[in-house]
Amino acid sequence: METVEREDIQGIVATGYGKLVAAYYLLLAIDDPRLTGSWLASQTTVITTARTGPGTDALNVAFTHAGLRRLGLSPDALAGFSDEFVEGMCTPHRSRILGDEDDNSPEHWRWGGPTTTPVDVLVMLFASDNGLLEDRYRAMVSTLPSGGLREIDRLDTSNIGMREHFGFADGISQPVLQGLGGGGPMDTVATGEFLLGYRNEYGLYTARPTFSRELDRRHVLPSDPSDSKQVDLGRNGSYLVFRQLRQDVRGFWRFLDGATKRPDGASDPGTRTHLAAKMVGRWPSGAPLVKAPDRDDPQLASANEFGYFNADRLGFACPIGAHIRRSNPRDSLDPNPGSASSLEVNRRHRLLRRGREYGPGLTPEEAVSSPVAPDDPERGLHFICLNGNVSRQFEFIQHTWANDPRFNGLYDDHDPITGPHTPSGATFTMQAHPARKRIRGLPQFVSARGGAYFFLPGIRAVRYLSGLTT
Amino acid sequence: MADQVAITITADIRSGDVVDLKTLLAEMNGDPAQNRVLPFGKLLRVHFARLIVLDAVTDLRGQLIPASLVFLSDVDGSASAYLGELVEALGSGIDRIFRHCVGYPGGESVKAADQLAYLRAKTVQASAVYVNTLGRTAIQVRREARLREEIENFLDRWHGLEAARPGAVRAALRAFVRHDSSLAWAEQPAKSPGVLFQLREWLHFGAVILLLLLFSPLFIIGLPFWLIVLRLHELSDPAPDIRPDRKHVRELTNLEDFVAQNQFTAVGLTKPGRLRQLTALAILWLLNTGLRHLYSRGSLAGVKTIHFARWVFLNDKRRLLFASNYDGSLESYMDDFIDRLAWGLNAVFSNGVGYPKTRWLVFDGAKNEQAFKHFLRVHQVPTQFWYSAYNHVSAVNTANNAAIRAGLSGRMDDASLERWLLRL
Repeated sequence: METVEREDIQGIVATGYGKLVAAYYLLLAIDDPRLTGSWLASQTTVITTARTGPGTDALNVAFTHAGLRRLGLSPDALAGFSDEFVEGMCTPHRSRILGDEDDNSPEHWRWGGPTTTPVDVLVMLFASDNGLLEDRYRAMVSTLPSGGLREIDRLDTSNIGMREHFGFADGISQPVLQGLGGGGPMDTVATGEFLLGYRNEYGLYTARPTFSRELDRRHVLPSDPSDSKQVDLGRNGSYLVFRQLRQDVRGFWRFLDGATKRPDGASDPGTRTHLAAKMVGRWPSGAPLVKAPDRDDPQLASANEFGYFNADRLGFACPIGAHIRRSNPRDSLDPNPGSASSLEVNRRHRLLRRGREYGPGLTPEEAVSSPVAPDDPERGLHFICLNGNVSRQFEFIQHTWANDPRFNGLYDDHDPITGPHTPSGATFTMQAHPARKRIRGLPQFVSARGGAYFFLPGIRAVRYLSGLTT
Repeated sequence: MADQVAITITADIRSGDVVDLKTLLAEMNGDPAQNRVLPFGKLLRVHFARLIVLDAVTDLRGQLIPASLVFLSDVDGSASAYLGELVEALGSGIDRIFRHCVGYPGGESVKAADQLAYLRAKTVQASAVYVNTLGRTAIQVRREARLREEIENFLDRWHGLEAARPGAVRAALRAFVRHDSSLAWAEQPAKSPGVLFQLREWLHFGAVILLLLLFSPLFIIGLPFWLIVLRLHELSDPAPDIRPDRKHVRELTNLEDFVAQNQFTAVGLTKPGRLRQLTALAILWLLNTGLRHLYSRGSLAGVKTIHFARWVFLNDKRRLLFASNYDGSLESYMDDFIDRLAWGLNAVFSNGVGYPKTRWLVFDGAKNEQAFKHFLRVHQVPTQFWYSAYNHVSAVNTANNAAIRAGLSGRMDDASLERWLLRL
């Protein structure tokens, strides 16, 4: 088994910094690459690694393709990255497969779209409380002008507990890197699925920029594990997918409330929650429907070692189209559902999720009853995930599993939680006796507000990048 | 019941006409079913059709292969019936397309007989053909899709469905279908393959087995030699991992992911030498036999997302064309290839120039994930015009729709009744 070089890996790969409840994401533009080089050099000792781990605060840094170009990376090295990263999130085809059309179209985005200032650098700041975060932020901002950097936007986050805005425990199922250890058999995935320069689930190295040692004049980069004559810019790095997703919490609960009203027109909170749980595939506590089909069971809140085939092949407990059953189908897909080969295929489509909420929380009761203030703040998820092959992991999951209405034998059901807008509304099918029950006309609950593909380099790669313009 | 046939027509394009033809195809592609040139929606026997302009290339010896038009159709019934219908219903469109091709009769309006003679003369035989489900016609696929939608809507309107007995649900659905004159056809089961058809298929299969047995002594003697020579070739054949040009990929992706299905067309040069050519011929013959007799019932070795596929030699076997109609994304299609069909793809495509290194014909090759994906994209060509008769249903949907219809007639025990209701 390959052991990973923790000291060369940014900390966010190993942990989501759960104890650091406050965070800002800074979107920066590089105005003067020469100054940015020295700024970056000064950050290399401060960046939180997977070796040191966070104390009371943490800092991680990632770059867009444009950002790497601004830093002076050679055309050859730039072309060595994956097409998804080189082209960015907003090509017409990518918008089609990610569901970023109509209202979700990048031209309406707050950031990352064709009409907004191009993002070069992403700085992620974390701290144990808001006061400390504010201090760290102010300190960071003061270094920007001399670093040739400009803040385009600051994306704030909010700590609304362990749940996402619709009220469901989130982030329960996470893959564990083989090289970091500590995961169960179902969740342990080859290191190369998340970190470049390690073997992936096919036993191969995912393409990444590697080049001759001579181009690494200061001898900072690690060796290419597959060719000792080369150095590896990708090693210990990962692709970071960032999407700002607005959640229409009022729309969500109001739609469900309407769909579950008692004959006398009164709300039925129990049935409402049950329908929401059917759509998610877990109860608000996190208990999976496969294990707790009829009512929430906080005892099972973190239950994650389960499959679908033996427990609920037909989807009576957890519908085939439920959010968690399609974003991580476990053992439910071909070939041979329920077998090791089904799980093997599933392991090639996993994501390490590192996102955080933004905007104030809203309970289902408030969502249903309280009037909407004109200045009702936006709320949602800053979805962040790490993967080694964006097209086989993030884009595949989004396109082939979440957004495809024909997922696993269905007809017109896309992901009931995250699916994009369809003109007549989407369908959600719940397998049942004697025949299925369908909810029709589902509006869109989650919409894209911004996004970009970043590269999260290893520490030595950051050092290399910092020296290109000096 | 009707057979499904794959028709391939290919003709060289007049020099200087390539751009015009591409422009015309792109315009038609805006509305494949109703466009003014070839409105395929009028031809009810067509499942899929496509028109592709292959740019001129040079082969391994440096000889020019001129630009050509490739016209593919997957249809019900016989090739001659289809060509006749094509000329009769879309004759002027055929003129507008093929007048860009070498040898097409001149004049303002070409006689139907001359058109037909031209199309026949330009028809080439596919070496291997895959049909998802033999015997299911395009009309049937579309009708059964509508049937299922109507049944689902009926169930949606049923208040108190959850309290109904399974038997009562089926009875109500049968009554619903019977009383709707536009659906009453569904009370009759779909025509199953006739006795004669089955007999023919069994005889063919039997003859193939017999032939193989007869020649088996020769094979057994020849096999070790062939394997050794093949292995030597494998060791020395260059297999560079070339990343596809980004502009080329963009041209391809601009034509992908609009409907439930996608098209895939790839063309590559076959490796030089008798051994590779004979190997490709033999493998494709075996493949075609396997596809015909073992994989024509909804699944290609576990992959259920392919509607139709074919392999056709072009230019005196200097090139091989592969074309398919599949569900979902190319990424998942390629993953299926790697995970489940690698051995078969290796056996065929390793005879093509540039394929990732194989071992003993069937090992490695496609298992080299990224090199294989690069190879496919590098050899893929833009399908400038593509028509699907039922672009909103997947192959799995199609099979399920057929089973829903089948369940409307005949007797059913409790267990099968429960299974049938789950299809809704």
